[in-house]
Amino acid sequence: MREQVRQFILENFLYTDDGSALRDDASFQESGIIDSTGIIELVEFLQDQFAVTIDDDDIVPENIDSVDAIVGFLQRKGCQA
Amino acid sequence: MSRDTLVHALARSAEACPDRAALILGPRAVSYARLYHMAAALAEHLAARGLAVGDRVALLSRNSPEYAAAYYGIQAAGGVAVALNVEAKARDLGNWLRHCEARWLIADARHPELPQLLAQPHDWCIILIGEVPPGLDVEPHEAFGDIVDAAHEPRLAARAAGDELAAIIYTSGTTGEPKGVTLSHRNLYANIQSILSYLRLADDEIIVNVLPFYYSYGNSILHTHVAVGGTIVLENSLLYPQRVLQSLARHRATGFSGVPSTFTLLLGRARVEAHDLSALRYVTQAGGPLAPSYIRRWRELVPHARFFVMYGQTEASARLTWLPPERLDEKMGSVGIPIPGVEIELRDEHGQVVPEGETGEIWARGENIMQGYWRNPERTAETIVDGWLRTGDLARRDADGFLYIVGRNADMIKSGAHRIHPKDIEEAISELDGVVEVAVVGVPDELLGQVVKAVIVAAPDSGLDERRVKAHCRERLAQYKVPRTVEFVEELPKTASGKIRRFMLA
Repeated sequence: MREQVRQFILENFLYTDDGSALRDDASFQESGIIDSTGIIELVEFLQDQFAVTIDDDDIVPENIDSVDAIVGFLQRKGCQA
Repeated sequence: MSRDTLVHALARSAEACPDRAALILGPRAVSYARLYHMAAALAEHLAARGLAVGDRVALLSRNSPEYAAAYYGIQAAGGVAVALNVEAKARDLGNWLRHCEARWLIADARHPELPQLLAQPHDWCIILIGEVPPGLDVEPHEAFGDIVDAAHEPRLAARAAGDELAAIIYTSGTTGEPKGVTLSHRNLYANIQSILSYLRLADDEIIVNVLPFYYSYGNSILHTHVAVGGTIVLENSLLYPQRVLQSLARHRATGFSGVPSTFTLLLGRARVEAHDLSALRYVTQAGGPLAPSYIRRWRELVPHARFFVMYGQTEASARLTWLPPERLDEKMGSVGIPIPGVEIELRDEHGQVVPEGETGEIWARGENIMQGYWRNPERTAETIVDGWLRTGDLARRDADGFLYIVGRNADMIKSGAHRIHPKDIEEAISELDGVVEVAVVGVPDELLGQVVKAVIVAAPDSGLDERRVKAHCRERLAQYKVPRTVEFVEELPKTASGKIRRFMLA
């Protein structure tokens, strides 16, 4: 799960295969990796890929703002690692 | 003629309400007395270090109490505040710093581009805000916090005023011709007073601010609120719209300002109705047209807040027109009437005023109109004609004097709160091996208004693909300038004289 999320972000927002370009604890908000529309693309990807429903109320930094946060959120949503 | 400045306005608020919070960032509140102290400390420090009136001092900081203090401190010392776009990369930042010949750079110690920026040849002195991250090797520098702590009852005195320069705002970053809008103390002060006269802000105003202070719209929010002694709550990101609504409710905010995408994001991606916005008195919207359906939806949800539609340009310090909220329904789609102190004429391509009801370019005159572009007399002469600012925007005026924008400055791309010159991006892409020719245009986007598209003619066997172009741009340009889409074509459509027909590419 972690690897899929990382791949999506590397490919779509950092345009690279170089895994070292993305730290799992890097805040998207602080680093500017993702913009407002990027967050929508990311949420759509997570919904499709992991078959979860993500409400507007779920889209908060605690759940989405880093690879670590996303993995934790997906696990809380019942996705298997 | 007034010799008052923004610095005087801060001093008055610090006198009138020293204990009131001027700025709130997360758990931290900075009072007017403290903001005054911070600004005065920096001003005295810069003056003692030999800042001469008119010297440029660049500021590279996210919205923060330190940003505000530095801005006022620079101007009090007689310096010209050059607030730089914090999303820009070292390439543009270096261009601007060299172009304005900055003597100081006051920067967030954690700004991600700082190492690359400091690696460029330079002779500016450095003042760092916040803790220096481990591993960052900064040559001799001073700490903003130390300067503030060392000052003993510093006094804020304005060493410059009137027509002397107060600020430069860079609106484009090409190496050949950066565009730096120069504003005098009188420009800024006149515009702030004019905005206050129609917004009628009270001294107990609390605004939640999401707009960057380094753009003219955000700049006007900072100074109007400081002038009345209001409180500005800083929310530095719209990535999580729900957060902004929570902040509005928690702080019992009385005001809120946005560009079109601010409202489309809040309405489209968060539940406005789930938050208590009963304290909101007014909302302002500028930076391009917001679809009437969104305005209506917002007003259904927050009917008690007056909704101000406004229009302006950086070249006009910020504001040119406003639509009185009580006329909004009747004049939907209009940007309103000139603000106090501003005259507007609609003129044809020969500079003649067009007959009533016909479309013409907006020409504007008033105390808020810029002094010109920094060290760019040709561009200044094209833009300021006989004291009138040529906006490049086309409009018509109805019988009641309300203006309707019908066409915008053709090439400029508006994406979210950003205005993007295609040239900035074209220049960066041209540096990529294998690019024969490139044109950049804005294409419609539901959320952001427009997003960037690059159309490229590549050399045969260049091996260029979309990802390489984006990766190249990402290293050199602010994130919002990285093309959303890249298209490869055999040739670019051109006029007989060889000019690219951009409209055919969008």
